[in-house]
Formats: sequence, C-alpha cells, structure tokens
Amino acid sequence: MTVAPASSVDERELIARVRAGDALAERALYDAHVDRVFRLAYRLAGDDDLARDFTQETFIRAFERLDSFRGEAALSTWLYTIATTVTLNGLRKLKRRGREIELDHAAEVAGGARRAEPDLKTRLYAAIDALSEKYRTVFVMHDVEGYTHEEIATALNVEVGTSKAQLSRARAKLREALADFAGEWVP
Amino acid sequence: MTDDRIDQRLRELARDYHRPPAVPREELWARIVAERARRRAAPRVLALRPWLRWGLAAAAVLVLGIALGRLTAPVGQLATPPDSAGVVAYRVAATQYLTRTEALLASFRAEARTGRLDAQFAGQARDLLTTTRLMMDSPAARDPRLKSLLEDLEVVLAQIAQVPAGRAGEDVDLITQGIEQRSVLLRLQTAVPAGPGARVQGAL
Repeated sequence: MTVAPASSVDERELIARVRAGDALAERALYDAHVDRVFRLAYRLAGDDDLARDFTQETFIRAFERLDSFRGEAALSTWLYTIATTVTLNGLRKLKRRGREIELDHAAEVAGGARRAEPDLKTRLYAAIDALSEKYRTVFVMHDVEGYTHEEIATALNVEVGTSKAQLSRARAKLREALADFAGEWVP
Repeated sequence: MTDDRIDQRLRELARDYHRPPAVPREELWARIVAERARRRAAPRVLALRPWLRWGLAAAAVLVLGIALGRLTAPVGQLATPPDSAGVVAYRVAATQYLTRTEALLASFRAEARTGRLDAQFAGQARDLLTTTRLMMDSPAARDPRLKSLLEDLEVVLAQIAQVPAGRAGEDVDLITQGIEQRSVLLRLQTAVPAGPGARVQGAL
C-alpha cells in the first residue's frame, strides 16, 4: 500500500477524499497522526493494551464523525480532542471499577516515602500519577509530549489561561512532592 | 535552585514517564479496519443504560396515562382528569419526567461552566425530548402555563441533543443563555414543588 507522507498531504483534500470513501486517504490520515495519538494515549494510560484500545477507538470515532469536522481548528487538534476524550473517559471507567489508584495525592506522596523510594525518578512518576486528572493531563501534554497551550486548551475545551494555570499548579505540586530531593536536583 | 531550574529538571526527568514503545502501526491499522467492519456488519442493538430504561418505562406509563386520560376526561376539562389508577400512574410518570428534566438541565448548566460535557447529556436529552412531545400531546398541555414550559423544554432539549460529546462552545453558551433568559429551571421547579405529594399535585 502506498502511503503519502503527512507533510505532503493537503489536509482539506485528504478530508474530502476520506469523506468520499477513499480507503487510501483513510490510511494516509491515519499515518499522518497515529504516532502522536498513540503516544498521548500511552503517556496518559501507562499501559500498552489500553493505549492500543484508545488509539483504535480514537480513529474509529474520527472516521465516523469526519463529516462533522468543520475545519475551525486543524485536523490534528480535532483528533487530539477525540483522543483525550476517549482516553480520559476510558481511564475514568477503569477508575470506577477500582483498577486505578486514588488520584490527587501528590502531597501525600511527599511524606514518609523518602527512605522507601530513594530514586528521584520513581518518586517523580508516583507524584505525576498522584496528580488530579486535569493537572496530570496538562502536565503530560505540555511538559512531556510538547503540546502547546493552544492545542491543550482546544483538546480539553478550556481557556488557554486555564491550561497555563493548571500546568503551573501541577508543577508546584510536583516540586512540593519532591521537596526532600532538593539537594539532588542538579544533574 | 530556582523554580524555573527545578521545572526544567522536572521536564527532563519526566520524559521517561510512561515512555511509549514504538507505535505498532500495522497492527493498530488492522485492528481499526477489522473493528469498523465488525461494527458495520453487526446489527444495531440499543444498549439500555439504567437512565434509559427508567426513561422508557416512564414514557410507557405516560403513554398509557395519556390514553386513559383521553378516554376518561370529559370534553373541555383542563389538566385535572378524574382519579383512577391510570391517572395516578400518569401523574407519577409526568412528575418523574419533570424532575429528571430539571436534574438534566441543572447538571448541563453546571458542566457547561466547566467547559466539558459528558456524552450522556445528548442521549438523555433525546430521551426526554420524546417524553416532552408526549406531554405536549397530553391533557397536561391544556394548562397554558405548562404548555408554555413544555414548548421551551422542547427547544432546549432538542438543542442539547445536538451538542457534540465533550465539547462546550458557543452553541452551549447559547443554550445556557436560553435556559436563563426563559427562566426554564425556575419554572420547572415551580411545576415540581418540593415534597412527594405536593410534587405530583403541583406538576399537573
């Protein structure tokens, strides 16, 4: 199968072809965006099977709903919106089933675990896991995956200022959680 | 060390947080193609969520009540049909409908403020829209005040039913403005006063 690289694909033409039922265009759209969608799903889920499930569902929904895409934002941003919705809703369902640890415990992670978990990275990851969903999502999207605040705001349907404020708060919580590593920050 | 430098270090360390493996492109694509084909081939089955089951049950009782009300109400009588088991069932169902509608609109308005909307809103609105239209065709709609409320609810619920999942934008703002400007929630609360007995009487 010949797949056009993402950079050479005219987005509007691609969308029109997908809407017309062109299977090659569907594959080209998928190839252009699957990496970032999968990476985001994996970063948020931390599980290969879940990331595959969420990526699959994201593209199925995108193909189903492409007719409703109005082109007000970039197609990629629209896809990230679907990806974050699918992933966060999927994780919430798992949480409801008791398969996830309780969220928003960053401050608690800071206390008492210094001797038990001496590794800074381990503690950092535990602290990220313990952030509330909104803080963790913004932190992962911005600081880990490199999304802009504009992309995050669109994907999460919040104001840009809200995204910035939540990132700032997330970082503060992480600093607080890792305060007892202060002397070891310098690489 | 300043917060900026700490944040920089945090970002460096966080790069390995849930580090994704290589993207299984071909496998994922095969799964997507297969799943889409499966969904296209599968017969459409209506999955009845708990709220939908209750909604359908209420609608069924409402239809029964409307039929009984039409059979038993004398010509020219307003929204106070004679007492009977069917009328009581009708009133209970109508009160349930008004209560659920009030709850939906209050939740919708609250979630609209947060900027995220649950996909269930559209489904619930569609369900309630069906019941609203049944109500508009019932003896209850002879009450001018209730009729006006039902007409406004029909518009609002139809709008909510069209809102894409997860998105809150200008459309949602217009819906919430409509709810505010027409005092829909206040009128609903008036139609369904507090207290189980009073709620039934006040509704109809």
